[in-house]
Amino acid sequence: MRLDYVSGAYLVFALIMAWDFIAPRIKLAQVRRMIALRIRRETPRKTQ
Amino acid sequence: MTVSVNRLVLWFNKTGSPPNFDRFAARWTPWAFATAIIFMAAGIYGAIYSVPADYAQGENFRILYIHVPAAWMSLFIFVVMAIQAFIALVWRIKACEILAMSCAPVGAAFTLITLVTGSIWGKPTWGTWWTWDPRLTSELVLLFLYIGVIGLHNAIEDRRAAARAACFLALIGLINVPIVHFAVQWWNTLHQGSTIRLIGPSTMDPSMMWPLLATVIGTKFWFIGSLLQRARAMNLEQESGKDWVRKISESSANEA
Amino acid sequence: MTLTPTLFASARAQLRRDLRLVWRRRGDAMQPMLFAVMVIALFPLALGAESRMLARIAPGVLWVAVLLAGLLTLDSLFRSDLEDGSLEQLLLSPVPLAWLIATRVAVHWMVTSLPLLLLTPLFAELLHLPGQLMTPLLYSLALGTPLLSLIGAVVAALTVGIRRSGMLLSVLALPLFLPVLVFGSGAVVAASQGLPWSGAIYLLAAGLALAVVLAPLAAATALRITLT
Repeated sequence: MRLDYVSGAYLVFALIMAWDFIAPRIKLAQVRRMIALRIRRETPRKTQ
Repeated sequence: MTVSVNRLVLWFNKTGSPPNFDRFAARWTPWAFATAIIFMAAGIYGAIYSVPADYAQGENFRILYIHVPAAWMSLFIFVVMAIQAFIALVWRIKACEILAMSCAPVGAAFTLITLVTGSIWGKPTWGTWWTWDPRLTSELVLLFLYIGVIGLHNAIEDRRAAARAACFLALIGLINVPIVHFAVQWWNTLHQGSTIRLIGPSTMDPSMMWPLLATVIGTKFWFIGSLLQRARAMNLEQESGKDWVRKISESSANEA
Repeated sequence: MTLTPTLFASARAQLRRDLRLVWRRRGDAMQPMLFAVMVIALFPLALGAESRMLARIAPGVLWVAVLLAGLLTLDSLFRSDLEDGSLEQLLLSPVPLAWLIATRVAVHWMVTSLPLLLLTPLFAELLHLPGQLMTPLLYSLALGTPLLSLIGAVVAALTVGIRRSGMLLSVLALPLFLPVLVFGSGAVVAASQGLPWSGAIYLLAAGLALAVVLAPLAAATALRITLT
């Protein structure tokens, strides 16, 4: 596909939208991991 | 009439509570994105393949089919963010704080798309990548304001105070945008520089409009999806010490 | 029995205190002037000293120098009071917080921008500003600098609690400063082209009138938001 102005513009569009889609998912995964870690840290204490 | 308004208020109150919001966001995010992708795919297909290229600008007007919706969204999201910010500050509703803060990155993304695609469209059309006319300058200032809101929100440690401060900044920023536009417009009358006339899509033939309508609708649904996604993550993060978070985390771990 | 001070008395007390604090560190108070001179000096050094070219850019350069000098001192508006706890006392004061903030901003303007305003004829000479542009320049700076201080106070209030905020305050304030800069510098540029320039000055005056009332209130709200 000829790399011209139209392709460049649509490429930029696709990249930024991809970032907008992926970044929150990464954040959600991090938050989930943090919650799981927190539960694992605090559960042994509860059984005492 | 009052019964339905009451039910609406009740629904808002219920959905705004953190566990309900998490469920609501988790449920509707995929639908919002699916709808968005369908509409945008249709619009982009139409923009690239269906619409004939005998318009005055050759092929490059196809860029407008993403540039224009992005520009409208960049302004629309700022207004939505400011409304959420106002509600969050006046009524101190946590869900609105989170929603307002989640608007900022999406708005910044659309503003960046607007600026870059506009610049790419401008180069073959006007011969220059950039010009300091009111619309472009206001859009650039809009990007700075979005980044400012995000930056302020990240800089304060207490999450709720951070959200409230950034909400306040968003409201001030909203007032600033038309003022900047007016100022640069006045300033441009002093300098007889560019005699560039912005050719808007309203001069397009109606048969070429439908892809634009599709992309406009698509970006709206994308905004809803992205907003819910981001708000869900922020909500979960801020509530991470609570019992309901623990419960759903354990139940999903048991399922796995 | 609690005695609520009158507005005038509280303003005078605040004024005295702030001016005394500035006097004790009067070396620091000289820094905005030095900074402005150096910013002005950057341009002939960077662009060459051809006097006609300097005369053309003089209004803009002078405005930018004054704007930046004021911007860099905004951080100290509330910070020292935050650090020693007196800011919280101000929040509890029976006198309206907005009134106290207005007084504080007035001191900031007197210490930072007023000297620059008085030195403007000197700065203008450094850049070969044509004599007839002095009037619009002084009008625009006289109205614009208080406006910048007031707007800056709101942003300073929003960022007061942030440790190591770095350039955040400047980055947040600059988009809000843009219209003031455009109309202020634009008035002088209009005058240099023989165009009517009083409209821009009136707009600045109107903006200042609004800001005098609204900015202290907004800054007070911002302080309450960030400190509670």
